[in-house]
Amino acid sequence: MDWFAIGREISPKARGIVTLCSFLLPLAIWSAFSYLPFLWHPLMEVTESGGSQYFLSGATVERSAFDQENAKLAAKGLAEVEGVPVNPVYLPAPHEVGKAFYTAFVTEPRLPDDPWLHESLWHSIKVIFWGFLLSSVIGVPLGILCGAYSPISRLFEPFIDFVRYMPAPAFGALAVAIVGIYDGPKIAIIFIGTFFQQVLVVANTTRGLDLSIIEAAQTLGASKLQLLTRVALPGILPDLYRDMRILLGWAWTYLIVAELVGAKTGITSFIHQQSKYKIYENVYAAIIMIGLIGLFLDIILGALGSRLFPWEKNSKPGLVQLVAKLFGHGKEAKPS
Amino acid sequence: MTAEEDLVDYKEQTPRVKKYFDDLHSREAILKVENLGKVFGERPGATEALKGVSFDIHHREFVSIVGPSGCGKSTLIRILAGLETSTSGSAKLDGKEIKGPGPGRGMVFQSYTLFPWLTVGGNVTFGPKMRGEPNVDIENEVEKWLKMVGLADFKDHYPHQLSGGMKQRVGIARALANRPRILLMDEPFGALDAQTRSLMQAYLLQIWRHVDVTILFITHDLDEAIYLSDRILVLDANPGCVEEFVEIPLERPREPEQFLDPRFLSVRHRLDVLIHGEFPKEANELSFIGGEDRFADDKAD
Repeated sequence: MDWFAIGREISPKARGIVTLCSFLLPLAIWSAFSYLPFLWHPLMEVTESGGSQYFLSGATVERSAFDQENAKLAAKGLAEVEGVPVNPVYLPAPHEVGKAFYTAFVTEPRLPDDPWLHESLWHSIKVIFWGFLLSSVIGVPLGILCGAYSPISRLFEPFIDFVRYMPAPAFGALAVAIVGIYDGPKIAIIFIGTFFQQVLVVANTTRGLDLSIIEAAQTLGASKLQLLTRVALPGILPDLYRDMRILLGWAWTYLIVAELVGAKTGITSFIHQQSKYKIYENVYAAIIMIGLIGLFLDIILGALGSRLFPWEKNSKPGLVQLVAKLFGHGKEAKPS
Repeated sequence: MTAEEDLVDYKEQTPRVKKYFDDLHSREAILKVENLGKVFGERPGATEALKGVSFDIHHREFVSIVGPSGCGKSTLIRILAGLETSTSGSAKLDGKEIKGPGPGRGMVFQSYTLFPWLTVGGNVTFGPKMRGEPNVDIENEVEKWLKMVGLADFKDHYPHQLSGGMKQRVGIARALANRPRILLMDEPFGALDAQTRSLMQAYLLQIWRHVDVTILFITHDLDEAIYLSDRILVLDANPGCVEEFVEIPLERPREPEQFLDPRFLSVRHRLDVLIHGEFPKEANELSFIGGEDRFADDKAD
């Protein structure tokens, strides 16, 4: 097999291995820095104070200070300080972060009013959900109309194109002033970050619809409204679905910024608190959790998508028939 | 190559063919095109695609339009379908001026244009459903039209599961299910391989024989045009205008053997002359390369 042939796919087995490596490689590097004492490890953790009066057992010190102290002690003929090389507290080892995935959920918050981790996560997911939903409810129809009708496109798109270049976080203070201090401004930030891109992306997808399909429908006697609802809409549906997946990823990246607006909430507040307490394995675990939730969501949506549109070339059968059966429509039910 | 003097006169018709055309001309002209013109763009820089095009098509007639590329045959059929507007003259179907698309004129496109999200059955019933015809006989209609194009077993398939020829048969069934007065076909078999193509020609003739429909067919394949048509409208290019309306002196039903009929060859020759003019000398095998460049062996002779 030729591994480096431009535009050629490698075998399925090789593909699986390489994909796995994509995750294993960073993990391996991280493990090497964590478990091999001769790699980096700039600090020393004191295990035995020896003759030193300052270096108490359990303390972490710079390696140079450690060596100096030992030199001094040796000159005085006292017992040397003993220690092991360690990494800074902000680089926990993989197994510590792995453990934190469990312990972070079962550790009671330090302050009685603080939320548990699962509550924080759920709060974050709610903020994303509402922000994305509100944006889509307005953005998708507007995008489709812009893509379908030139006057609507000319009316909305230039301005939207202009606003799109203003970073969403810049609206933070405004959002607080307008919609208050609770979740309102956070949802607003996600909305602003998503909406303007969404209109333009959906409009472009709609414009990409094969015009000859519209013409065919016209010659078959479809009315103007039918051209929009019965031809353009089902025609772009699979592409629209793909767009929404990508846009949801963008909304996800606005989460942290959104949660910093006003009072910190959700996973962001958890991350901040844990870093204040210097429990960095929890910080890493929380960051990775955000990534994992996004990744799993995308994988689920992708798997769903391949069953949702049986008319697509590489679709899998199943879902539509299943849903149709559930609602008692029999096999005649069609998604349009 | 057939010498010109050996050809029979393409205007000479057997009594049977003559009777056929007498009957044809006595039928009502359902499509009347008068002095039709189309200019694209604004002056200056405007291009005139069609100029003074006039012709009639009779009920149940099969007419093909041929012409050199750029003669505006696609523009013409798109105007008749209502997808394009003319800039002068008029086109009337059953006495009514054509303004925009309508179910009276079915269209079959070269690029199939099936709705990918609908099954074969869904595609065929699209027209009747959009026009709100009562649901009762729609199932029967699908069966009937799919049987007509030989796809009765493919009702629940999606277009991406079909071959090009099958897709185009669905396209024909979809247009016919709307019961159009005239079926406009814009190079419908242009994207198909030669074998599928001749099969589709046979299908189309059968369909035309059994359905009350008039067909206007665009093609750049002259043999296809002769084999299928009653009459062939030959367009000239720049701007597109009618050069001749040729009556095909071949009896129906048509059969593949007729490709070798001397009358077929004489019509073919006439069309060649109309479209290409005098055949250019450069088309001769030995005329291009000479002297030093000529390859030095005689295997090709």
